[in-house]
Amino acid sequence: MTLDIQWALLLPALLPVAAMVLVLLVDAVAPRTRLAAPVLGALGLLGGAVAAVPGLVATEPRLTLCTPAPDGRCMWDGSPLASTLQLGALLATLAVLALVSVRRVGVVEVVLLLASVSGAAAVVAARDLGTWLVTLELATLPVIALVAWRERRAAAHGALTLLTTSLVSFGLLVLGTALWVTATGDPTLTGSSLAAAWEVSEQRTLAGLATVVLLAGLAFKLSAVPFHAWTPTTLTSGPLPVSALLASASKLAAVGALVVVLAPYESVLGGRPGPHVVVAALVVLVVASMLVGTVMALRQTEVVRLLAWSTVAQAGWILLPLTALTVAGRQAAAAYAVVYAVASLVAFAAVRAVHGWRVEDGRNLTAYRGLLRRDPVAGGTLALALLVLAGLPPGVIGLVAKVVALRPAVSAGLWPVAVVAVVAAVLGIAVYVRWFAVLFGEPETGAPARPRRRRASVAVAVVGAAVLVVTSVLPQLLVGLVS
Amino acid sequence: MLLVPGAVGLWLVTGGRALPASTARTVALVAAGVGGLAAITATVMRPVVDRAWIPDLGVRWHFEVDGVSAPLVVLTAVIGVLVVAHAWVERPWADAPGSGSAATYLGCLLLVVAGAFAAFAARDAVLFFLAFEVVLLPMWVLIGRYGDPHSARARADASARFILYTAVGSTLMLVGILLLVTRAGTADLGELPAAAATLGTGEQALVALLLTIGLAVKVPVFPLHTWLPAAHTTAPTAGSVLLAAVLLKLGTYGLVRLPLANVPDGFSRIAPVLAIAGVIGILWGGLICLVERDLKRLIAFSSVAHMGFVVLGLASGTETGVQAALIGNIAHGVISALLFVIVGGLKHRWGSVDLAVVRPALREVSPRLGFALILGLAAGLGLPGLAGFWGELVALLAAWNPAQHTGILRTCAVIAAVGAALAAAYSLRVARIVWVGERVADDAREAAVAQTPDARSVELGVMALLGAAVVVIGVAPWVVFSVTADAVTALVGGGR
Repeated sequence: MTLDIQWALLLPALLPVAAMVLVLLVDAVAPRTRLAAPVLGALGLLGGAVAAVPGLVATEPRLTLCTPAPDGRCMWDGSPLASTLQLGALLATLAVLALVSVRRVGVVEVVLLLASVSGAAAVVAARDLGTWLVTLELATLPVIALVAWRERRAAAHGALTLLTTSLVSFGLLVLGTALWVTATGDPTLTGSSLAAAWEVSEQRTLAGLATVVLLAGLAFKLSAVPFHAWTPTTLTSGPLPVSALLASASKLAAVGALVVVLAPYESVLGGRPGPHVVVAALVVLVVASMLVGTVMALRQTEVVRLLAWSTVAQAGWILLPLTALTVAGRQAAAAYAVVYAVASLVAFAAVRAVHGWRVEDGRNLTAYRGLLRRDPVAGGTLALALLVLAGLPPGVIGLVAKVVALRPAVSAGLWPVAVVAVVAAVLGIAVYVRWFAVLFGEPETGAPARPRRRRASVAVAVVGAAVLVVTSVLPQLLVGLVS
Repeated sequence: MLLVPGAVGLWLVTGGRALPASTARTVALVAAGVGGLAAITATVMRPVVDRAWIPDLGVRWHFEVDGVSAPLVVLTAVIGVLVVAHAWVERPWADAPGSGSAATYLGCLLLVVAGAFAAFAARDAVLFFLAFEVVLLPMWVLIGRYGDPHSARARADASARFILYTAVGSTLMLVGILLLVTRAGTADLGELPAAAATLGTGEQALVALLLTIGLAVKVPVFPLHTWLPAAHTTAPTAGSVLLAAVLLKLGTYGLVRLPLANVPDGFSRIAPVLAIAGVIGILWGGLICLVERDLKRLIAFSSVAHMGFVVLGLASGTETGVQAALIGNIAHGVISALLFVIVGGLKHRWGSVDLAVVRPALREVSPRLGFALILGLAAGLGLPGLAGFWGELVALLAAWNPAQHTGILRTCAVIAAVGAALAAAYSLRVARIVWVGERVADDAREAAVAQTPDARSVELGVMALLGAAVVVIGVAPWVVFSVTADAVTALVGGGR
């Protein structure tokens, strides 16, 4: 069997792999050059990001890895939606690489980051279950190692939690994949084969079950309730840059994977969402994540734990537009995920800039009192990120993202979900404004000193905040990307 | 018009925080003045700004002033200049040690004004919502940071209540707007009424319900009013003035613009409920005012009562009713601004405005303040010849001859008339306690005169301007009626 391959379309995933190989080679030849690994890694990530750019503006389909006609099936689709997620994941990983201080970064960290991002870049474009499953795990497993690598005992505990979760998730995904193939008789995720299966009632039941099982597996990675239990533990115990990675690039990969699975439903329903099992499962995830995540975040005083619970709540917002099972819904989910990823990266970078690299201690809300005046750069970027997450102007992009996310659900007529979203949005404002109020308060005399050597964190926070400001003024830049 | 106060406000909040108070005040006053002048020019020239902003969502930068919004834009322009000028009288940044800078305070005032301009001029439903949200955070800062210096807990409580209540309202409104926009296929407020006419009755009612509940929080309509007294009591004077004169108007303006204009059939279905809520608000506010001891809270509750009349006018669903609501809006904006300036001044001088404390007569101690207070109270109780009269009278008339639900609305009109009598009772109560005062010993009076200097310069100017507006609108209401008439006819007639 011959495959038709257009290498240019694969570059976003291949360049990080190439960089990974180079890093390993250089390390084998000249193990003492400490700067080589981060520089090569950054170049690989940047190259991948540049390679993803043409896909953003493409109008014709960008399919590759196709089997020959007549019934040619393609296993790779570099659509604008996938390219946006690839770009987001690559740049987010670059930011995380910058957050891991250049002095301390080792070859292993760079290699693991590159492996994870190549998986993320591949899974969002995959169109067949084999590639999808393998690359999704490629995106996840290196992160577990990163959590545990060179860190203290608590981190090992966090990594173990994540590992257990991932194994369960992997099991569910394999089961779901098997069910899907049984139901449709087709290893690629195409609309026509699902539509054919949907006509027969036994196959329809099986296909619905397959999707729900796949959803459950992915819900672990998205940290949606009730599959969220690992999130607070892992995010607080691991090193902060890895937590930022879990909250940004990993999240984008999971959203991309979910979008790929739900895409075939378009042709089944013809735009009419029926009251069937997939929508019901999604609604349960959305409602539970939004409410549980926000209420728990409201009670936290440790900032990373607060961000972790807010991740859970935002997962609900990301899933909200998907309940409509339409193109617009999938685009909205991607747009919301990108906004969330940028805002949470800025928040993590600002937290790191406040505490320095030994951040595991004293990350309490009280340490942030009056930060806006003590430290305008870290305080200002953090404040902006919180406002975007809350969806309050001047963080207009956060508000626009909420509008974008609500729209498909409302137009699909999913009332109860929209009402829950209203409640969650208001509670969310309470969560973030609580922190914002602390930033805004009066500085105390005994405030902790600013850490030295924080240029990278500040740079990441400032660049991310600049992205948020520009997209707040011109939201079309972001909303237009995914469509 | 939008750009100047918005940009300067943003700059003052972020970059200009270190500016000394005097420079910041001058810059802010110039910005408010230029913005206000531009706004008044815009109401005369009626320019149109229409640009694509987020094509994928169908959202456009579409600003235009029409008859309904023109009086409100002018009101906002005037109030904007006055609140900034008032910073020469009361300096909330200096009252509590270590609180924020003058520049942040003034910047927040300007941002609220800019947001209100944007909301009044927006001709796109989603843009209206975005502008509606812009005012939230600066107002939160004003209440939470520069509010009553005596109690940090009260400030935190009031500001949190304000932002959460309003956020509930605006998010519900967003769901309503999104439903309306996706079903009608356009977000342009000019095209929406025609496009929305195709909606089924059930959908119309649902949209109207969502929009009305959302906006009723902002108005506020009983029983969603509980955030207002707390916010007013703790906010600094300028904040109270902005809140009463501008922000509450956003709610009523939204009611006219969104549910009434776009889904009239749905709106008329829930109108009786709205009317009853309005009347309960009138009675409830009036009864609380009879026993309330804190003067600032009292005026906040009287706001609830006055907005009850406005809502009653709207619920009648007739052209007269909408006219009544609009003039009632403007009148309430001016009157409550005047009263809050006076009461804020008194609170500043006395430290508290508890009516149970025995104080000498205000008319003897500081006659100008006393006169202004009497003027404001008289206008508030709806004395003919002053601004408050027209809104209430016409609202009652409209409720007596409504478009639908005659029985319910006539009952409401009768009860509302009783509420107007309550307004007279509580106004006279305040006048007796504060203006007439108690007989006190001579030395105590001397001390009181020293403690209560009369209004001078800027404060006097602010009060004089507001007082003049109260009289002008009262004597010549057609100034407002003539501006709004055509637009209202188009609004109410166009949807049917």
